[in-house]
Amino acid sequence: MARRKFATLKRFLDYIGLEGDRTIFTWISASEGERFANVIKGVTAKVRALGPATKLVKKL
Amino acid sequence: MENIDKKLREEAKRLLEEKKVDVLIGYETGTLPLTATPCFITNPEDAEKLVWNAFCTQNLAKFVHDLISQHRESQKRVKPEDRKKKVVGVVARGCTTRSIVLHLQERQYARDEIVIIGVPCTGYVDRKRLSALVGGEDIREGAREGDQLVVKTAVGEKRIPLKDALAANCLTCRFNNPIMSDVMIGEQAPPMSPDQEYVEIEAFENLPTEERWAYFTKEMNKCIRCYACRQACPSCYCKTCFVEQSQPQWVGLGEDATDTQVFQLMRLFHMVGRCVDCGSCVSVCPMGVDLRKFLKKIDKDCFELFENRAGSSMEDAPPLSRAKEHDKEDFVFNP
Repeated sequence: MARRKFATLKRFLDYIGLEGDRTIFTWISASEGERFANVIKGVTAKVRALGPATKLVKKL
Repeated sequence: MENIDKKLREEAKRLLEEKKVDVLIGYETGTLPLTATPCFITNPEDAEKLVWNAFCTQNLAKFVHDLISQHRESQKRVKPEDRKKKVVGVVARGCTTRSIVLHLQERQYARDEIVIIGVPCTGYVDRKRLSALVGGEDIREGAREGDQLVVKTAVGEKRIPLKDALAANCLTCRFNNPIMSDVMIGEQAPPMSPDQEYVEIEAFENLPTEERWAYFTKEMNKCIRCYACRQACPSCYCKTCFVEQSQPQWVGLGEDATDTQVFQLMRLFHMVGRCVDCGSCVSVCPMGVDLRKFLKKIDKDCFELFENRAGSSMEDAPPLSRAKEHDKEDFVFNP
């Protein structure tokens, strides 16, 4: 069910114009330390390439 | 159409007289020309007010839910042995029955608490579209003549083909006949053009990201957060809506553009597998926000990914309440 929600959410956010790479989902178990590190490296690399977020950011 | 009205009134009167229903929700002629408004009938004599025509806009399933949940709430203060059941009758076209199916699947009320009078639907007139067709002039008088609308404004009389004034969701409607009914009035309606359903959405999907974002922000900037869309939506029945919740506060109040976007985004996303495309939210929106552009996308994804159309059958459980082993997971990030 979570997978279904994420599948639709990612598509929907992409549709309204948020860059697809900003929403990232994956499965990591608490015991998968190395995988966790790899995923976070991958995520930061993707986000760095996109630059700072300007959409849906509330200016206080 | 005259004939349908007559049969509808007879049926409504019979149900009320035989006490099969305690209250009947239908449409009556509105106070403005070319409109119809929801009405609640408890006296069999008042059944004469009922109409069924191309101006019946709102999805009445919303009121079915409201009445039954209010009644249940009131019964909480009554001794268990004195509690009464309230049966609600409803005049329902295709999309209304889809909402009812959804409510039943979501265990909002039982099948024996409602009586459905099914009516065939050939689409309803979109008030905003009609107003644009007459150049924004006040409509003083109007009538339907066959496939045409005769509209009198201060400028003069104008004949408009009915098809031009129909709402966008009606033109591509797939379920214009009731999914289920206890009594069916009239013949099955001819099909609309469901094959054109996603044309607009596919065109929008192919636009560059920035253009899509620009369109989203432009539409959301119109929104004044009156929550009319939420009030009219049969799928929006939470006792406390997330926008009014203060602990935690999900969305800020006030006029910040991002808050408005987040409100709309969350409300839209709550419609996965639940939006029946009845167009009620669009028709009540005072600012003319193009909500359907986004709702229909959710419907499209839901069909593509889970082969489900909201409320299209009693057996088909809501898509977000179940999962299959081989659901798509190509979006999962695996570095």
